[in-house]
Order: sequence, then C-alpha cells, then structure tokens
Amino acid sequence: MSQEKFWVLLSKKLSAEADSEELKELENLIHNHPEWQYAIQNLEDLWKHSSQKDSLQGEDAFMLHLHRMTELNIPFGDEPAEIPAVPVTKVRKLKWYWAAAAIIAVAGLFVFGKSILTSHTDESLAYKEANEISTRPGSKSKIQLPDGSIVMLNSGSKLIYNKDYGIDNREVTLVGEGFFDVKKNKEKPFIIHTADINIKVLGTVFNVKAYPEDKKTETSLIRGSIEVTIKNRPNDKIILSPSEKLVVENGVITDAKLNSQREDVVTGSTVLNTVMAVNKLKYSPVDSSVAETLWIENKLVFRDESFEELAMRMQRWYDVSISIQDEQLAVKRLSGIFERETIEQALEALKISIPFRYEKVGNKIIIHQ
Amino acid sequence: MESVDLPLLTSMLENDHIKRLLTAVALNNDQAAYKELFLLLHSRLKQFTYSILKSGEEAEELVSDLFIRIWEKRDQLTTIESPLLYFYATAKNLAFNRISKQKRQQNLAPEEWLVQLNSIYFDPEQLMMTEEMMRQIRQAVNDLPPRCRIIFKLVKEDGLKYREVAELLQLSVKTVEAQMAIALRRIGKGMHLDIKAAEQPRQTPKNS
Repeated sequence: MSQEKFWVLLSKKLSAEADSEELKELENLIHNHPEWQYAIQNLEDLWKHSSQKDSLQGEDAFMLHLHRMTELNIPFGDEPAEIPAVPVTKVRKLKWYWAAAAIIAVAGLFVFGKSILTSHTDESLAYKEANEISTRPGSKSKIQLPDGSIVMLNSGSKLIYNKDYGIDNREVTLVGEGFFDVKKNKEKPFIIHTADINIKVLGTVFNVKAYPEDKKTETSLIRGSIEVTIKNRPNDKIILSPSEKLVVENGVITDAKLNSQREDVVTGSTVLNTVMAVNKLKYSPVDSSVAETLWIENKLVFRDESFEELAMRMQRWYDVSISIQDEQLAVKRLSGIFERETIEQALEALKISIPFRYEKVGNKIIIHQ
Repeated sequence: MESVDLPLLTSMLENDHIKRLLTAVALNNDQAAYKELFLLLHSRLKQFTYSILKSGEEAEELVSDLFIRIWEKRDQLTTIESPLLYFYATAKNLAFNRISKQKRQQNLAPEEWLVQLNSIYFDPEQLMMTEEMMRQIRQAVNDLPPRCRIIFKLVKEDGLKYREVAELLQLSVKTVEAQMAIALRRIGKGMHLDIKAAEQPRQTPKNS
C-alpha cells in the first residue's frame, strides 16, 4: 500500500467515486492506523461542510436575468408570443386559470359601466373620457377589455379605463382588488395606477389589492414579470418574479389625496420612504392554490391574518359593516376559508377560535369581548 | 465512518433533481422550476465562468445567456444525459467563444484559469481543530496548483463526478483521480495527517 494509494482512495471516498472494494481497502488501511483516525475524521467533516448558499444574491441575479430576457424580447410567459422577431420554439397552451375562472358563477353581480367625464386626479387619465366599472360590496365582476385582457374585479372595487384604451395606450386605474390576465403587447405596456403604486406589465397574470381603507397595497405575481413603481419613491423600480408578492404600506398619498384631490402636489410630504417588502407567495400543499387569488373562485381565504384585517375583508365580502370594540380581539390572528357560509355562520365559526360576543342590527355588526 | 453513502446520495439526488427540473421546464414551461434551476446553479456557474473570463460582470451576463438558451431550447432538454456536465460544458463553450470573439486569447489551459475556492469554512463549534490547524489548512488550499484547484473545486464544491470533470477539462479520469489525491494530501498535511505508508508497519495486528 503506497501512500499515494491511500490519498487516492480517501479522495474517491469523499467524492463518492469509490466502489465497494475500494471502500473496503480503505477501511482496512485506516483500521491498521488508528492514529490517522482523528485527522481523517476532520477531513471528512471539512468535506461535508458545504458552503452556505447566498440565496439573496441568487434572487437578485434571477430578477436581473428576467429583466434582461424582457429587454431582449424573449417571451417568458404562457401565452403564444406575438412578436415574431424572436424565434419561439413552440406555441404554448393557455393554462387552466381562465378555463377555471370562466365557469365560476358570479352570482349576485352588480355592475354598472358608465361613461363619465373624469374628474379624478391621475395625470395619465385626466381630461380623457373614461369607462368606469365598479362592484358593490358582496359582488364581483369579470371584465374583458378591448384588447382581450381580462380583469376579475373583487367586491367593492372600481376599474377605470379610457375610451381610447388599446389605441394609444393600455392604462387603467384600480381602486380595490383585481385579478389580471393581461394580453401580451410589447409596444403598448399595460399600466395599472393605484393610489400608492404604478404597475407596468408586458403580459402576465397577477393580483392587485389596493383598497383605500386597507393599510397596505399588495401585488401578487402568478406568472410572467411585472415592474412596480411606488408613487412616492419614483426612482425605485421593483421587478417581481413569479410567486412573489410585493406589500407596500399605504402611505401619506392616500390620506393627502382624500384631502387635496391632487396627488401630484403631495411630493413635499415629510414621510418619503414608504415601507415595503417582497414576500414569497405560499402555495397550499394540498391543491397548490394561492390564498391571494382564491377570491376568484368565490372563496374568502385568510391565512394568518389579524381579525382587524379579516373584518375589513368581510365587510366587502358580505356587504356589512363590522366594528371590533376590543383592541385585544382586533390583533388576534386567524386562518380559514369561507365559501358558502352566511355572515352569521362565519361569525359563529370565528367564535370557536377566538371567543367573542356580537350584536347585529341590520347591516351593522358590533363585536366585543 | 459509517456515513459513506452520504455524498454519493446527495450527488445522485442533485443530478436527478436537475433532470426533474429540466423536464418540468421542457414539458410544462414551468417557470417556478426554471427559477429553481437558476437559483441552484447560478453562483456555481458564475464562479466557474469567472475563472475563465476573469470578469464578474461578464460572468454574470454569460450565465444569463446560458439560461436564456436553456429557456429557448427547452423542448430539447429532456434528452440530456448528464445535466450538470451539460451546464458546465455549455458555460465553458460560451466563455471560450466570448474570449475568442474579443480576440483576447485562444482557449485557456486550465492552468491559466483563475479559480476561487470558497468552501473551506471553519466552524470551530463543529470541527475539532485548533486555530493554527485551520490556518494551515487554509494555506494548503490557497497554495494548490491551478489545475489541481479547478479539479478540486469542480468535484468538491460543484458536485461533478470525476468522469464529468475529465470530459469537461479534456483530461483522463486517472489524471483527475491523481489531482484529487494531491489536493487532499496537501490539506491533510495541514492537519498533521502525515501518511508515511512505507515506514508504517503494514501488518499491525488487529486489536480485539
């Protein structure tokens, strides 16, 4: 046994290249040299001790990579590409989303589309004639825009778009929550304005929750790639990758807008840095659904939400007003799904997790200890 | 000593895992699988191409190019036999193309690659070693000859098989084997593991 042989055998063992005969040979050798034990053990430990992964760096790199693909006009979505300049290997089929969405019964729907001479403040839409579609609390709506893009509008929400949508631009304004499946069109990016953020899209599927009464605006990307700018941080662009959710604290703009009606004047505000975070969407291990989009299937899903946040959503869902009188109750965290439950059944179910009493007079519900 | 199969298992699992991801990308246009693949290989491939290009920015771009190619040719991905080797070989080719396009140089021999090793960490809590020993091991790793370094890195850090390293660097498997032995001997020396087989009594009776 030469010493060379020993090192060959040991390195093969560590790299998982040794066969059973070689392993045996090595074992015998080590057995005869108990004084090597300690150092060999250390070598093995050292080998197994793999480098820690810098996942953040990888995430950043992936974002840049997606951005680069977009710039190079390389389709990274599920719709067939509409730009022939880049060779596309095959035409891909539409996913199940819209097949599923299409059969959802949208009962109790209340939609009114009307033309208004807009008086609202967003500079991009100002002075143009606009269509406005809104849903009452307790109802939802599915809208097909002139270019074929589809928007599901959740309860108590509003979507506004120009008369010339699709001709000059593809810009819409959203108040509330919408699930978007945007047709691809590189020349005319689809832009969504909400009170606090702007979202630029090339062609993709995602959910935006931007109710003025909520504390935060949430953008959940199902697939594709979108670019978000926060209105009071105009220089920062946030590019979301699939399965990511951007949460932006609704800031001064919303409040100021209510008062002044002119948001472009608000930049002098003292609070300049909106709080934001990018989180991973959590897929259910059972059916790989995402809580953020289940409302389109008529499910009110809440995963680890405070009672206060949930109450806000229940108000819109059931068209009621809920007031929680007790602060300790308001911060309790809850998870669950409501599907066919009436408001009374829902409240009874919640009482099992967090004991409380409630009174209901007409549409008003008061909750206390 | 009984954890013999652990590295083998992880390396097999990894190749299988990459295959599964590639299949998901190929058959279902699975974007999540594509991202996972990217996250799994990005830093390794970047370091590997850095060793040839010697520029972090270019290495980053090259890895992105490589993954664009993966996406565009995704319908052909299911037939790849050794996926890990495929990624490294493609990265190497792209890097060499880039160098020759810039007329910088002809293909570099592995000796000229600038290899950064980064996996020798020491966690004193886990490894029973003295400060001095750790210093010596680090030194030993840093002093490995270039060709030895790249081989050691590809096997230990990147999880390539001897056969794959041999194919990638156009060496014989025997050479890879020998270089690995050299690397380990040098590191072992840092641990005062001095194997002097010739002088050691070979037939030490087994103690009961």
